Amino acid sequence: MADTPIERLGDLTATTLTRRRLLINAGVIAGGVMLAGPLAACGTTSTSTGGSPKRGGNFRLGVTGGGSGDIIDGQKIVTKPDQARLVAGFETLLEYDTNYKLQTTGLAESVTQDAPDKWTIKLKSGITFHNGKTLGADDVIYSLQRISDPKQGLFGTAGLASVDPNNITKVDDRTVRLNLKQADSTIGDQLGQYYNGIVPVGYTRAGEQIGTGAYKVQSFTKGQQSVHVRNTNYWRSGLPYFDTVTVIDFPDVAAQVNALLSGQIDAMTDIPAAQISVVRGHSNLAILEGQGADWRPLCMAIDMPPFDDNNVRQAFRLMVDRNAMLQQVFSGHGRIANDLYSPFDPAFDSSLPQRHQDIAQAKSLLHKAGKDNLVVDLHTTDGAAGMVDSANIFASQAKAAGVTVNVHNDPNYYGDLYLKLAFSVDFWGTRNFLPQVANGSIPTAPYNECHWPPKDSNYLSLYQQALAEPNAGKRADLIHQMQKLEYDQGGYIIPMFNNLVDAYSTKVGGLNNGSKATLNLDSFGHGYRSIYFTA
Amino acid sequence: MLERPGPTGGPARTGGIGLFILRRILQGLLVLVLVSIVVFAATQALPGDPARAILGRGATPASLAALREQLHLNQPVVQQYLTWATGLLHGDAGRSFAAQEPVSKLLGDRIVNTAFLLICSGLISIPLSILIGSYAALWRDRPFDVVTSLVTLVFAALPEFVVGVALVVLFATTVFHFLPAITLIPPGGRPWEQPIAIILPTLTLVLAVTPYVVRIMRASMVEVLESDYVEMARLKGLPERLVLRRHALPNALGPTFQVIAINLAYLAGGVIVVEYIFNYAGIGGALRDAVSNRDLPVVQAIAMIIAGLYVVLNLLADIATILVTPRLRTRL
Repeated sequence: MADTPIERLGDLTATTLTRRRLLINAGVIAGGVMLAGPLAACGTTSTSTGGSPKRGGNFRLGVTGGGSGDIIDGQKIVTKPDQARLVAGFETLLEYDTNYKLQTTGLAESVTQDAPDKWTIKLKSGITFHNGKTLGADDVIYSLQRISDPKQGLFGTAGLASVDPNNITKVDDRTVRLNLKQADSTIGDQLGQYYNGIVPVGYTRAGEQIGTGAYKVQSFTKGQQSVHVRNTNYWRSGLPYFDTVTVIDFPDVAAQVNALLSGQIDAMTDIPAAQISVVRGHSNLAILEGQGADWRPLCMAIDMPPFDDNNVRQAFRLMVDRNAMLQQVFSGHGRIANDLYSPFDPAFDSSLPQRHQDIAQAKSLLHKAGKDNLVVDLHTTDGAAGMVDSANIFASQAKAAGVTVNVHNDPNYYGDLYLKLAFSVDFWGTRNFLPQVANGSIPTAPYNECHWPPKDSNYLSLYQQALAEPNAGKRADLIHQMQKLEYDQGGYIIPMFNNLVDAYSTKVGGLNNGSKATLNLDSFGHGYRSIYFTA
Repeated sequence: MLERPGPTGGPARTGGIGLFILRRILQGLLVLVLVSIVVFAATQALPGDPARAILGRGATPASLAALREQLHLNQPVVQQYLTWATGLLHGDAGRSFAAQEPVSKLLGDRIVNTAFLLICSGLISIPLSILIGSYAALWRDRPFDVVTSLVTLVFAALPEFVVGVALVVLFATTVFHFLPAITLIPPGGRPWEQPIAIILPTLTLVLAVTPYVVRIMRASMVEVLESDYVEMARLKGLPERLVLRRHALPNALGPTFQVIAINLAYLAGGVIVVEYIFNYAGIGGALRDAVSNRDLPVVQAIAMIIAGLYVVLNLLADIATILVTPRLRTRL
């Protein structure tokens, strides 16, 4: 995936939000090599809301953002409302459950890694598209080839870079074999990404929107709203419940809250922390909190002074009061972090001791480095919620250690300076470890803010081994070694992960509170198939 | 009415109302041409490469070349301007970068929605403010005048977004719950199909405009009521109603029309804020969206629409002023 990702981003226009959208929705990786078997609904930490399901009704969802750049495509989004529209009509081969585990609840009966560079996909039988056509191997081949085509500018292209589009073979009507260009243990995880939806042969964005999802598009006006009607031939029997789903764009979050309060919408994404108590004051409204793993790191470039001295990096990590920052930036809606990303990854090393603020130790490390009374510039921008606040709060916390941090809030941050700064704030979405490394922590990564890894480290070779290792246990060992290196020497200060906080009317049932979902509202009620109006 | 003499004694006609309107229309067109040059210069012809500014750091040589082609950036600046302006004259405002469809298709429904909101606000606020202003002048220093003066001062000082949010809190979300908090116009639908949903945005705009017009109307009416000709009319025994309607009101309306025109034109800008508050699908929302997407053709088109509205409203105000003011009318 060497050089394509940045180029590909160019198609998405230059706004920093676009980058956020991409990053927020990036890849994940799971433990199992063989993914097969029945739905494993057990083991979730989340709780489902609401009473008994009632059929029918028009579910009106207000989604933050959107505009004339809105699209509907089974394999791409530009704005946040696009996410809400994609999952209504399109489904993936594998799916993540509410505990962030990959499951065969999607279109595939099984996805198997036969050899380090060979995967086999077997489809479930009896699944039809909105137009009645039966889902078959040809559709999967077409879908994967479309994702692999760099000209399409799709999100999944980088994650499936090891797939050879000309070497996907049809074994039978329901079986497809992938012959990879190189060993890759993360293919199954990529197939679970919501934006790697399966589309029928010949699908184009400009053409008819045909997928296998619970709802099909009835109307769509960019920047305003879309209406999706129930797919009467849906393959999951008895589902879905609503007659229609209406997705409405809200560029202004205050209007969105007002619409919910006045009963004009049934649910909304991304309620601001200040409005949560307002919603809680209404007995017919409730808050849904998903355990997100979005993060806003303070990035220290390990090859630029003063951060080329690891003592300085460690000192800076010890200057942060993580709990205070979580309270001040996200009103406590999140969890403190340990300077390591990808907490949902089964291979995440939670045995490393949690770092806490230690001003004395930080001062002594700075003294050791000969950097008493250090003055540094910290660059940030309003690219995602919390980026500017994090920088300012860090600056005030650093004073205790005698460090002066000059915060520069630069609207053109993502212009020429980006990735060339010694100290900056950035933002990332929820993904698992190896895909995150591919995107941010190796020299070929498109957004390597910290210029990681150090030249003398074996990090890269560990990464290559992990990518090629089909055994989950052995892979986890390799990942732990990589995480230890980042924990001890890395350039990221990761103070916290923030939650996804949404609001909904209590007449909506079936939403899972506390789920580990990468999309809002419990991944939009799993494509609106598991939520309903209560009787 | 008797033929009045011009300043030099004889009739001072210079061609009548028809020629006057024609002259003003030509002036308006000239203004639009000048505005179009400014809009073009401020968006596309700025120093530097607009294509690069639009695509940002992710620009690829291929996408830059395609965008330059689309913007005609390879032509000389004058040629670019003429291409764009000629397109506008033919009703072709180009293609939106973000939506990848013609600007006219993107804005068509939104223009109708915004126009409807402005017309409703105008139809309510103009008669209302003329009425309130007149009575305030008539009952000068009496309770009605004092209260009006205070209330208009307060509303004139409040920005639209404060008024809009307060109305939502009052009527839709917190105190009462009988009006919708936002205006949801389904695609293909029209705002007049659900009048209840446009009450709050209209009211917000009415409250934004009325105070200014009331105050001007009152001031102008006070001045007229103290004038010699009104005193003369009263002295010669005309009934008070006739004095007001025939002599005072028309003369007081002249300056007021100018203020109304400026305020209505101002609404075209204020509507952006109001549309934002109420999630109203109009050109205000489209402009905000286009600016954040650097969608030049849409920004240019909306700037021209608003400029056109200014010109038309000022033209109408001038004509109306002439028509209601005998002294001006007869001097044409």
